[in-house]
Amino acid sequence: MRSISQQTLKRVNRWKLAGVVSILLTGLIVLLAVENLLTSALIAFVVAYILGPAVNIIERQGVSRGLSTVLVFVVVTALITLSGFFIAPYLSETLYRLKEDTPRFIVGVGHFISELEGRVQAISGPLSTFDLTTRVESFLTSRTSNFFETLPSYVKTFVTVMLLGPFLAFFMVKDGRLMSRGTLGLVPNHLFETALSLLHQINLQVGQFVRARLLESFVVGLVTGIGLMAISFPYAVLLGIFAGVTNLVPYLGPILGAVPAFIVATANGYSALNIAAVAAVYMVAQLIDAGFLIPLMVAKIVDLHPVTVIVVLIAGAQVLGVLGMIISIPVASTLKVTVSTIYRHLIDTRT
Amino acid sequence: MNFMWDNLFRRSDQDRDVFEALRQTFVFQSLSRKELRFVQETVHVRAFKAGEAVFRQGEVGVGMYILLKGALDIFVDHPVEEELPPRSHLVTRLKGGDFLGELSLVENNSRRTATSIAAEDSQLIGFFKPDLLEILERQPATGVKILMRLSEVLGRRLKETTLKVTELKDDIRRMSERV
Repeated sequence: MRSISQQTLKRVNRWKLAGVVSILLTGLIVLLAVENLLTSALIAFVVAYILGPAVNIIERQGVSRGLSTVLVFVVVTALITLSGFFIAPYLSETLYRLKEDTPRFIVGVGHFISELEGRVQAISGPLSTFDLTTRVESFLTSRTSNFFETLPSYVKTFVTVMLLGPFLAFFMVKDGRLMSRGTLGLVPNHLFETALSLLHQINLQVGQFVRARLLESFVVGLVTGIGLMAISFPYAVLLGIFAGVTNLVPYLGPILGAVPAFIVATANGYSALNIAAVAAVYMVAQLIDAGFLIPLMVAKIVDLHPVTVIVVLIAGAQVLGVLGMIISIPVASTLKVTVSTIYRHLIDTRT
Repeated sequence: MNFMWDNLFRRSDQDRDVFEALRQTFVFQSLSRKELRFVQETVHVRAFKAGEAVFRQGEVGVGMYILLKGALDIFVDHPVEEELPPRSHLVTRLKGGDFLGELSLVENNSRRTATSIAAEDSQLIGFFKPDLLEILERQPATGVKILMRLSEVLGRRLKETTLKVTELKDDIRRMSERV
């Protein structure tokens, strides 16, 4: 039998590789072009990474993959629906109260700023004719009224994403393996083992990272919520949830998460001691995070230098805003794994 | 239409061949039919043209291959002189049903100890470390059976190597006594 010439083989492999790259690029373009698809796909990945291990546990008992997936999704949907019945009335009541209280909070922030401005000017003399208080008040008023006006459209997007995300996640958990095998089938032979190994490492690292970060945020939110409840602070649950969500953004998140509590405290005219108690709650939550959760769960998974983290955070914020800040770290660590694997492959091929 | 039917039957023929090849491979021989079906969904069937390398000596490998169809030549590079490229020696030719590269399934950053080139158009079943880890995660009992068989293969290889080394040592001792 005639052997294939190395030149023909190289040409065929180049075409195959071009095919795989164009399929991946097309997928990426579709993700970016179709409205809500990127967010839905990201949610789908997160849901798949959370529920995948539960599906594996049921599958280990001899139940088929399909049935295990259905069981897990049905149970989780039932649990979310049930908890929704308890949380929805509280949330709508809190949001209504928040809407009513917002003008008071804005005035409170205005008072705080003008007081601060007065004190600064008492020390340094008049700095300029710049009226900071009015500017901040008008900015906050327009932003909050915008928020409540655009809330229905946010809810529409939220519902779309929350339906599409889990729907995609179901198939990712059930048939994810078949999908990745199908794509890997197109990879040229000389790159196949590298591609398979790369996909496995990325999957493992991103999965561990997503689970660890969500657990970390859950604990931070829980500690904050319980702490605020313990000092009888208003909106304790909502502020706990907010602190948990913002904690997903490295470095900046904990500060952003604490801001609303200080606005509420300032607007309600809390004493310095009470404000110190609020600060203590947030600090305890952050100490638990920095002292236990990050060293135990996150640091081992993502080995990125702090400067790299800051740079990718800024880049993420520039490209995709808050969403970009949340996903920038897993994307950066995926790129790191990809580059190091390709580099190792090149070294192997060259030597 | 005929083309579609041809493809469909070719696919089912290939599925049957892959199942049979797995069933007859020592590593999977203790698995039940259901377990074999699960393994079949995990493995990767790859086609190689005659003259195409499956892997090269010194590359990092992540798994083993079972020869489904065709033939593979196994070469080992021997250094001749420091400045000259190593010389390749044909060690053996593998035929359908043979398997190779199983050490990479258990060793971390395992380097291939030989080069494998398709002697004719060949089809191989690839079974890699990520696949084994997935089986262990989803069906641990199946994974343990595979690992037990794999240990048996590696143990046997180690025994053979130890015997070979002992024989060589004896030869060297005898030669040095004669000198």
